[in-house]
Amino acid sequence: MTDVGFEEGRYLYCVVDTTGEGPEGEAGRREFTPEGIEGGEPYVVESDGVGAVIQPRGEPFDSDDLRRVKRWLIAHQRVVDEAGQAFGTPLPFRFDTIHRGDDDAVREWLTAEHATLREHLDEFAGKWEYRVTLTAAGEFEPDDEDLADLRARIDEAGEGEGFLLEKQYERRLRELEHERDRDVAADLRDRLEPLVTAVESVEGSDLLGEGSGGDRVAGLALLADREREGDVGAELDEVAADPAIEVEYTGPWPPYSFAPELGGEE
Amino acid sequence: MPETRPTRDQSDLADVLELVLDKGVVINADVVVSVGDTRLLSVEIRAAIASFDTAAEYGLQFPSGTDTDRVAAAAGVPPIRDRPEDQATLDELGIEAATSGGGSGNDGDAVEIEADEESEADDEADDEAEPEEVPEADDQD
Repeated sequence: MTDVGFEEGRYLYCVVDTTGEGPEGEAGRREFTPEGIEGGEPYVVESDGVGAVIQPRGEPFDSDDLRRVKRWLIAHQRVVDEAGQAFGTPLPFRFDTIHRGDDDAVREWLTAEHATLREHLDEFAGKWEYRVTLTAAGEFEPDDEDLADLRARIDEAGEGEGFLLEKQYERRLRELEHERDRDVAADLRDRLEPLVTAVESVEGSDLLGEGSGGDRVAGLALLADREREGDVGAELDEVAADPAIEVEYTGPWPPYSFAPELGGEE
Repeated sequence: MPETRPTRDQSDLADVLELVLDKGVVINADVVVSVGDTRLLSVEIRAAIASFDTAAEYGLQFPSGTDTDRVAAAAGVPPIRDRPEDQATLDELGIEAATSGGGSGNDGDAVEIEADEESEADDEADDEAEPEEVPEADDQD
């Protein structure tokens, strides 16, 4: 239809272990018929026990329609989820990664990258990503001498001086808040690190930017065995026991945050 | 005390969007095309969500290099200028909290997305408008 993009390509969802040792083995594999982006029909091309979940696509998905983009993202995730159920932990690709060429070209790439892909599949086998976000509930009202002192002086001060003191008060409050966030994040990491394979900080990039209506205090992405879900949860219970802190715990996700960057053949 | 379990329900849409858009395997090979403007899409989505929800201080978060005009167009607001002093928040730029379907967070069918089916009707035409081809995978930030 258009001459942009290229003649032939394959949209990449993820790479999976096709040796049949996944949770469903060969049976799951036969039932793997997910619906892809824009009604596509993803399938697996494989080389020596490593498979790529792909669908034909000659150019990136691109649109100004945000709802549409969101639907694509969710469709991508659904396919990766189903691949995970059929084959075990997948190596999820970032949205809109397209391999130039046909199935054979993808197969050649799998062959060329076999050792690296195998290594990563083995590394992630049985492990999933979990995400923990802590937000502050309610007003931050620290018990602090400096603040109390400033408050007392503000109450006695005239308008001009009071204004300046208010500024100082705000600054001190923010300082304390940062300290609190740092401490809470460090504590969270200390608690969870022994239970998981890897931990990464998640900067305040959550797209909704809303948390649970409070201020985001800390965020972590965890790579963990599925069996450790409960242990992590138990630890989070203790964190959540603090009424000033709300905990969000999501997963299991394919290991998006821990996914490698793969070099080319060159 | 009940033990906390991880969730995967529809209110976790934010995680899906962030993970699929910003994370995942990146390939650096000339056989692969990746949308160079993953970042742009990411920002657009933020803008859209901001317009649905709070939009609070949103404009300050655009990474450098963002095509802000496109973002603004997508969010249905006047163009955002690049100069820092003009980086007003989208809120100030007049994004109404179009909360008809929004509300922050857990209103059931977030994953269902506020789909007006008409936007699907224009499918391929829109789909193939100005795709951005970049010979290498775009690295994150």
